[in-house]
Amino acid sequence: MVVSASRSDVAPSASRNDVAPRYANWAELRAAESARMLAACTACGACFEACPMIAYVPAAQGASPGDTVRGVLALLQGGAGDAASRGWVAACTRSAVCIPACPEAVDPMLLLRLAKFTAQENGTIPPRDARDAMSRAKAFARLGFSETEQKEWL
Amino acid sequence: MTDALFWYGCNMTRHAEIIRLGTHMLEAVGVGAQPTGGPSACCGAPKESTPRIAEGMANRTMNSFNESGTKQVITWCPTCHMNLDDFMGATQGKQAESAHLAQALWQRRDALVPLLTQPVAGRVLIDMHIGNGTGVNEAVPGLLRLIPGVTVLDHPYRAPSYMCFGLASIPGALADAKASMLAAMEATGADTLVTIFHSCHRELVGLERTHGIRVVNWVHLLAEGMGLPYEDEYKAWRNSDDPEALIGAERIAAAGEEAVRKLVLPELMRPR
Repeated sequence: MVVSASRSDVAPSASRNDVAPRYANWAELRAAESARMLAACTACGACFEACPMIAYVPAAQGASPGDTVRGVLALLQGGAGDAASRGWVAACTRSAVCIPACPEAVDPMLLLRLAKFTAQENGTIPPRDARDAMSRAKAFARLGFSETEQKEWL
Repeated sequence: MTDALFWYGCNMTRHAEIIRLGTHMLEAVGVGAQPTGGPSACCGAPKESTPRIAEGMANRTMNSFNESGTKQVITWCPTCHMNLDDFMGATQGKQAESAHLAQALWQRRDALVPLLTQPVAGRVLIDMHIGNGTGVNEAVPGLLRLIPGVTVLDHPYRAPSYMCFGLASIPGALADAKASMLAAMEATGADTLVTIFHSCHRELVGLERTHGIRVVNWVHLLAEGMGLPYEDEYKAWRNSDDPEALIGAERIAAAGEEAVRKLVLPELMRPR
């Protein structure tokens, strides 16, 4: 299982150093985690009910928690989901309250993240426009860093 | 080889003084840390909508960490911090320990306390978010309470997400978080809002101009307690009526006028 470093119940201590990778690449990680989640999730909807971002998803207002989770599972498998699940996946900001809320230890935060990966890859959800992100970071660096800092820090 | 890398992330390039101060503080408590970040040391998060590209960026960064032989990676950005543990560590292996800067300083607080000699007046409320496994929600209040004169106020409000960045793109979410934080400040009698992460600082410094409160990052406040001078240029630019004039033509030319006009000034001049 992927270590969910953003879990709100994680003790504040230095993270361990794992020398051996557990997966060969992201595709293998995604496949293994997706299979685990699909097997474990019962679509009880506890994650949906715990999420503080639902209030900001118009399509999720009044939606069935279980149906919305089933929509997320469909997105994970490359399907279209429904409006509520697409909106929820797009609005997830990794608050992590869904993780302790899940009775099956699915890690719903990772579920939504992986579903978003797939939905963005197949065009179901529009990708975030990050075209200028790196150029903007560089421009600020040229403004704020000295020449030596630019050479040594970037 | 240095003891540690101070992996500040990519969007921290807006806040050079925090990188300098953080590096200085680590050195002062016995950790020699080389700052590293920017696009060449990216965790891949900005490109996550194209996972194949994000994976390549993350792999390059993790390989460079492992090849450096560093014993510790000290993080700043919570997104980088989480990615280091999950996708990067799970697929590349992580050969160094990692901790957030706030944790690293808190763990060495015995060395920090004698350096905090300057009283700093402030009734501060910290902009905390729910989703955080970096340890900052515990470490930052502890660090600020070490500064003579600072009163750290408690309030149960925690904003969604793990920093303000995620909220900014969800209609209504950031405005609600700001309103709740201002209400918490009023309820507690706070005069200073302390940001934890760079994106929160970026989103909240405008409140200094619009609401007459002081907005500082926790590193700034710690620096004041240590008597370290600094200048928060991003805040000054963001709250200026004419950031272009404040930055100055010479610096803009040196940074690349076209890039500054296209990428920097629109961010500084957006509505507060």
